Amino acid sequence: MIPLILPALVLGAWEIASATGLLRPVFFPRPSTIATLLVAQIADGTLLGQLGLTLARLAVAFVLAAVPGVVVGLAMGMSRRTREGLDPLFALIYPIPSVLFLPLVSFALRAEEVAVAVTAAFTSFFIVAYTTMTGVQQLDRTVLEAARHFGARGPRLFLTVLLPGTLPAIFTGLRLGLGYTLIVVVAVEMVGAQRGLGAQLWLSWQILRVEEMYVALVTVAALGAALTWGVERLRRRLIPWAQDIGEVGA
Amino acid sequence: MAPGASQVSIRDLTVAYSGRDGRLVALERISLEVEAGEFVCLVGPSGCGKSTLLRVVAGLAGHESGTVEIRANRPGRPATAMVFQEHALLPWRTVLDNVVFGPENRGVPRAEREAQARRMLDLVGLRAFARAYPHQLSGGMKQRVGIARALANDPEVLLMDEPLAALDAQTRVILQEELLRLWAELGVTVIYVTHSLEEALLLGDRVVVLTARPGRVKRVFPVPLGRPRGLEARALPEFGALVDTIWAELREEVLESAEAERRVPPS
Repeated sequence: MIPLILPALVLGAWEIASATGLLRPVFFPRPSTIATLLVAQIADGTLLGQLGLTLARLAVAFVLAAVPGVVVGLAMGMSRRTREGLDPLFALIYPIPSVLFLPLVSFALRAEEVAVAVTAAFTSFFIVAYTTMTGVQQLDRTVLEAARHFGARGPRLFLTVLLPGTLPAIFTGLRLGLGYTLIVVVAVEMVGAQRGLGAQLWLSWQILRVEEMYVALVTVAALGAALTWGVERLRRRLIPWAQDIGEVGA
Repeated sequence: MAPGASQVSIRDLTVAYSGRDGRLVALERISLEVEAGEFVCLVGPSGCGKSTLLRVVAGLAGHESGTVEIRANRPGRPATAMVFQEHALLPWRTVLDNVVFGPENRGVPRAEREAQARRMLDLVGLRAFARAYPHQLSGGMKQRVGIARALANDPEVLLMDEPLAALDAQTRVILQEELLRLWAELGVTVIYVTHSLEEALLLGDRVVVLTARPGRVKRVFPVPLGRPRGLEARALPEFGALVDTIWAELREEVLESAEAERRVPPS
């Protein structure tokens, strides 16, 4: 119950302030009005359409970031040469906000949807790669030595020691990367798409249909929370040995 | 003891590293013969290279000159298996899957290796914990798993690097007794590194005292106490006398080692 007290107070105060004119309803419509519209948009299917589109873009972008990110991160963690070869290039590209690549990528790729996904994947790729790399580097040396001593070599060493040992770090990278991909997908939709939650948010703001903007906002927030929850569930399932460690860290 | 009849034969072994400050000799012309089934304890001041010696025998570290030979009585069996000080279990594997790890890597069929692992878990009293993860176990239980893992690999020589040093006093005493029981039951050769003279006398057939760095064999003491040996051995007058004798040898090495550390502050 305690976590609900503060949001309930804020919403209640907002409702009253908006109803009494203390807040301008043009910018801050009553939460009950927003909720009614939310339900209506769910009922007529418009919201689900927007959500589905954003979700599809997010999925493609995330796969584009996560798969190469994990592979490159593992390679950088295991081989100093790979790390030293890629580091300067990555250091140059990583700090650039992903959205800035949109014009260039759109021009190079033509297909709009592909451009959105590639742009949204950029920064998440680096997040996943660097977190994975750090995970490999922080593997317990004694455990590695013991594994070799008991005969694990080559692909066996990779599959039975390196990969499971890096899995907690990979999951941290995936969770951060997923959150970041969502941010960039919505941002790219705002500037470069006709449909999707980001587009709805931006277009409804442009024509001052503020209730619709809030509906999009709430949906993006709920989507982010649901994804974080889902990844955490998956982590607990796949990494049962790291529960306690994760809880100390959390 | 005739050369060649022993299980482990270390001759003129020198281990050196080249670092920033030039060549650092860790072990110098170590010679040691260990008989099959013997329990040999290595003691010495910290930094004398006891662990290094064990790692060279295990094949985990290289050496500059000299030879290490381990006579294989049964071909196809791994020569050594190590019990690490910090247990070094794989955190993502259950107790059973940790214990089968060595045989699994050697391609022993699943049914066979799991049966063997369960026998070893029985021996160390952890059968009920086969499905637990290491983080769910106490320090003493983890080290029992470490011992079971080493024994399940069916080695010619069991190498133990201060395996009980990180445990509390009561747990250590219990594991010392269990270790003696296991050793008597399995007849495996053991080389055991410890910093505790009492532990060395309680467990060992012989106690090898190493000098301060560079580590050399200073003296080898046979332990004239009978077997089976239990904790009550500590009350015997011979026990106390031997502790005093060995400590007299060890003391100057510990002092010299401490002196050397003062001269060269650890970087």
